[in-house]
Amino acid sequence: MEITASRGALRLFRIYFALLVLFLYVPIALLGLFSFNAGDTTFPLEGFTTHWYEDVFGNKVLIGSLVRSTIVATVSSVVAVGLGVLASFALIRRRFFGKPAASALMFSPLVIPYLVFGVSLLVIFTALDKLLTNAFGVYIGLGLHAVAVGHVVVSLPYTILVIMPLLERLSVSLDEAAKDLGASPWQTWRRVTLPLLLPALVSAFLIAFTLSFDEFAIASFLAGTEPTWPVFLFASLRVPSRLPQLIAVSSMVFVASLLLILAAEVGRRMAERRYGSEFTARTVV
Amino acid sequence: MTAGLLSAPLLWLLLFFIVPVGFIAAYSVGAIGIFPTDAGVVSFDDWARFLRGDTIYTGLFWKSVRMSLTVSVAVVLLAYPIGYFLALCVRKRKYVLLLMIIAPFLTSYLLRVLAWKVILGDAGVVNSLLFSLNLRNPDDPIQWLLYSQFTVMLVLAYVWIPFVALPIFASLDNLDRSMLEAAGDLGASRLKTFWRVTLPLSLPGVVAAFVFVFVPTIGEFVTPLLVGGTSGYMYGNAIQDSFTRGIDWQFGSVLAMFLLLVVAGLMMLFGRFVQVRSVAG
Repeated sequence: MEITASRGALRLFRIYFALLVLFLYVPIALLGLFSFNAGDTTFPLEGFTTHWYEDVFGNKVLIGSLVRSTIVATVSSVVAVGLGVLASFALIRRRFFGKPAASALMFSPLVIPYLVFGVSLLVIFTALDKLLTNAFGVYIGLGLHAVAVGHVVVSLPYTILVIMPLLERLSVSLDEAAKDLGASPWQTWRRVTLPLLLPALVSAFLIAFTLSFDEFAIASFLAGTEPTWPVFLFASLRVPSRLPQLIAVSSMVFVASLLLILAAEVGRRMAERRYGSEFTARTVV
Repeated sequence: MTAGLLSAPLLWLLLFFIVPVGFIAAYSVGAIGIFPTDAGVVSFDDWARFLRGDTIYTGLFWKSVRMSLTVSVAVVLLAYPIGYFLALCVRKRKYVLLLMIIAPFLTSYLLRVLAWKVILGDAGVVNSLLFSLNLRNPDDPIQWLLYSQFTVMLVLAYVWIPFVALPIFASLDNLDRSMLEAAGDLGASRLKTFWRVTLPLSLPGVVAAFVFVFVPTIGEFVTPLLVGGTSGYMYGNAIQDSFTRGIDWQFGSVLAMFLLLVVAGLMMLFGRFVQVRSVAG
């Protein structure tokens, strides 16, 4: 007897799984369909077109927001990965006083409501701004720098979560062997640790990048006059006639992120062949 | 050396996470003034007004708790069978099937919410389909589909199911199968095995899943803005409004801090169940 499910139950599970997949994908697929529709986002469909996709490149404001999101996502994920490497080394390779507290602090951005974090940064940046303007005549204001600073905080725990397991499996004796063979600490890092850690760094970067690129709640408070793509998208939703074009852009962003993840997966497999599987981390989830 | 490794990440979190949160905590009791209109004296009046229930926000908070609880319970119930099926019943390709469930999470959050607006609106998919089939007069669309509490909960459930399936799957996938076989050998029925062995062993995953939905949905403001209308207005919207419409930042800080304290309390109660690693698998 199969203890986990009877044959009848198994059939029910399969039907339920199929229904849930339908429920999850039909709304997304409908949007995809409308992005090729000559009319608006209603039935009946009015014929096939690709002009929503073509028009994107003429929309300067829209392209500007995509560029901004790319900048913020790149900067914030590079910083988050850098800080994540340092934090992971400390948490895995070192013993120190207050380690549980430090670890709790580093993972706490996982559970803070982004809304609360966003308004906290808004308040402190505003206060800082008033102070600097009054005292020194320096004006910082809100903008991309504020968004990037916030995104580093919320991405950091994810990068640590990806880097830590690989570092845990990476034997310390490799470092010691390099040292015994006369390598300096920098050479050991550059020639031994970094190449072995690289797959995890790429995964961490991708997770942080996609998180930042799609993040709305924090960005909406901090972007000021420099809307990132999600902020621009949200503001444009009030104009229904723009909807098909926004969907077209979103579809392209989705396809781009899929390609990015696929490329990373291919890269990981190649690295796996080179170094052996025990040294590489999984790319997605 | 250790101090060197730790200092950069800790400094970043201190400057841009702890200090800002501490700052609005101080601001919420008037210990810090930013605007000329701020009183500049420490006073717990705003907190007292809120906690006593003198404002509409206390009721709004409980309404949001009810909505988030409903969504979290519903999502966990909906996702559990999927986790069970994939972890324990499917032999081949279970990770591919799991990826199918998780993949929608890669599409933009705003887009997934927007999809429902397109489906349920007055001129949306459902209504326009009804018009074109002559089942409904175009002048008289079904209006209750959009802008209700139910719509907000439906969309939130839709958005969070993929994410929640993950911790449930992980807890069931790590379960020692020989325990289930032992229960069977000892004469337990399938139902009894599930009830007495499988379910208790997967409870940590269930609690983690619950927390992972409840925490973001209790602070949600985007979904209600898009599909909630006035009846779907949540506590998070009140916080957002007090800051973006510039009504009262100080009272907004009270509302935000209260939400943070509630979440912190929840994490203290349930934190030990939440294996942070189950997020990254």
